Amino acid sequence: MSRIIKLNHITKIEGHASLNLSIKDGKVKVCELQATEGSRYFEGLLKGNDYYEASELSSRICGICSCAHTVTSIQAMENALGIKPSKQTVLLRELLTIGERIRSHATHLYFLALPDYVGYESALAMADKYKKEILRALRIIKLGNSIVKVVGGRDLHPVSLTVGGFLKIPLEEQLAGLKKELSLVKDDAAQTGRLFAKLKYPNFINKTESSSLAQNSEFATLYGDIKSESRAFMQKQYKKYFKEYHEEYATSNFVVKEGKSYRVGALARLNNNHKLLSSNAKKIISSSRISFPNYNPFINNFAQAVEVVHFVDRAVQIINSLNLKKEPIKKARLRPCHGVAAIEVPRGTLFHEYELDENGIITYANIITPTAQNLRNIQDDIRAFLPQIMNLPEKKLILEIEKLIRAYDPCFSCSTHFLKVNFV
Amino acid sequence: MMRLRIIKMTKPKVGFYGITGCAGCLLSAIFNEDDILPLTKIVDIVAFPFIKEKKDESGFDIVFMEGLVASKEDLRVLKEIREKTKVLVSLGACACTGGVPAFRNFIQHDDYQRLVFHKRMKLEDLEPSPIDKHVKVEYYLPGCPPDKNEILTFIKDLALGKKPKRYDKPVCFECRLNKNKCFLDKGELCLGPVTVGNCNSVCVNGGLVCWGCRGPTPDANFETLISLLHEKGIDIVNIRDRMKAFVGLKLPEEEKKNEQDYKT
Repeated sequence: MSRIIKLNHITKIEGHASLNLSIKDGKVKVCELQATEGSRYFEGLLKGNDYYEASELSSRICGICSCAHTVTSIQAMENALGIKPSKQTVLLRELLTIGERIRSHATHLYFLALPDYVGYESALAMADKYKKEILRALRIIKLGNSIVKVVGGRDLHPVSLTVGGFLKIPLEEQLAGLKKELSLVKDDAAQTGRLFAKLKYPNFINKTESSSLAQNSEFATLYGDIKSESRAFMQKQYKKYFKEYHEEYATSNFVVKEGKSYRVGALARLNNNHKLLSSNAKKIISSSRISFPNYNPFINNFAQAVEVVHFVDRAVQIINSLNLKKEPIKKARLRPCHGVAAIEVPRGTLFHEYELDENGIITYANIITPTAQNLRNIQDDIRAFLPQIMNLPEKKLILEIEKLIRAYDPCFSCSTHFLKVNFV
Repeated sequence: MMRLRIIKMTKPKVGFYGITGCAGCLLSAIFNEDDILPLTKIVDIVAFPFIKEKKDESGFDIVFMEGLVASKEDLRVLKEIREKTKVLVSLGACACTGGVPAFRNFIQHDDYQRLVFHKRMKLEDLEPSPIDKHVKVEYYLPGCPPDKNEILTFIKDLALGKKPKRYDKPVCFECRLNKNKCFLDKGELCLGPVTVGNCNSVCVNGGLVCWGCRGPTPDANFETLISLLHEKGIDIVNIRDRMKAFVGLKLPEEEKKNEQDYKT
């Protein structure tokens, strides 16, 4: 018996993607997940621009992760130019990315993932019966937006950050306002953790490596080595272990680590760093039936919910430790140079790498997004998952596959725009 | 919270779509946290693939289209939706002007041709362009991203049968009301004087010069701004490049011609 399944225009994901599956005699012959977005060639666009323009331009790669691209781009430039940002700058950048993380996770959890688990087509359709949950989601999203707006100066595509520091820092009273909002959302975060702990996730294990940043003393966000079950290495060595490649059927690029698929994102971070979570986040885990490390890809949803709890706590901690003062922006001494930076963003580890000439003009840019890293793993998971759902009626089978794809919270806008030079 | 009025007419059927883009404009619409649920009481959101599985694509009163045309698939979707839509709205910089991705039109062709890594892409790719190059557009909501309140006000106006007004004043108008220090006085490359406002000068408030993401005002005087900035010591190439970053394809014709001269 053979089956061919084509899922065109998968909904409730960021961007446009489709899946081609062909099953023959109970075996998966073809499993091709492809982005159907047009290409934007961002790495080409960045070339020729001044070093300080890259953060504004690369922010446009993704609306959901605009803060992530901004901060990664700036840190890569600083690494290239030998600028060490102040402690205050680092904390504010972390706070900004936390705001983005919180709202991105809340959007994914409640608007894209939850409807599948409670039997609705969308969060809007759920609004009558699950009003409490949807309003909770909107409060969490609003908190994330407030943080991004206060620190970054705008809800999306932040404006206040630059290489060497902040163009404008928040006011004391704005931070006090955030603190109040955080205390109000604390319970919403915990409720989110409990809700996603008790969802009925499919029973499926596929043990692939988890890759994320890691630090000894804290749950890594902006700094740290690249760590997985097998090894740890420095950020600037990334090309030695990660290889990008292309498939003829897809406009996105794929990444493998030492020849194998691997995962990035909330689940990978928790697998590597769960011991460093806040005590409230640990409580959510210990009162659930789920433990880490965990190799069920559907548990990424729960991992995101745990992160919401952790990052609400971490945001309060950052605000408490800030003693804001106006600081000059550190100046760059231009020279031919090269820099790499990686940070943790909602969907995993994001890499930016640049080469600059003696005038600070970008001569080379390379960007690797989390979804490009997860794509191969998603495909491998689908292949491994199919045998156990093969006998389901087509509609149910498709829903299960979609749930698996959505669990990764893929962002196809990001993944498609980094098509690499293929020198033949 | 939005005040609800009882409307006798049937709820307008609204669609939110995205072609090649970053989803930021669609997010801006969703990020109206207090108003997104009440909004569903005055309009019927019949299609929104980003957050909704079900869609009724039989016909739309209003469609918000995010993104630019960069592939044949984009063009196919755009044309199909246009045919079924009474009011098509360009949502955000990419849809209105081509945005940052359209900057590719101004860089050397070889530079990005080398990024194309296989044949299928070559076949799929189209020159990046705003959607009104291909279909008729009734309204424009510019900006990268568009202001979320502007989107909301716009929907409310249309739902109530009011004709949304086009905003023509430059960014400087609101910037002065916000009492920001003028970047031009400091000799910095700010495009506020030639750029359409209604963004509450959000970038300048946050410490950044205006990059011109909302497109030129109807009476923008580019030459005066260029010579003023040049007098302050800024390289003309840099000024022109910055002007093209978001809205290059929508600069006035003569600007484009100048561009040709300057290239040769």
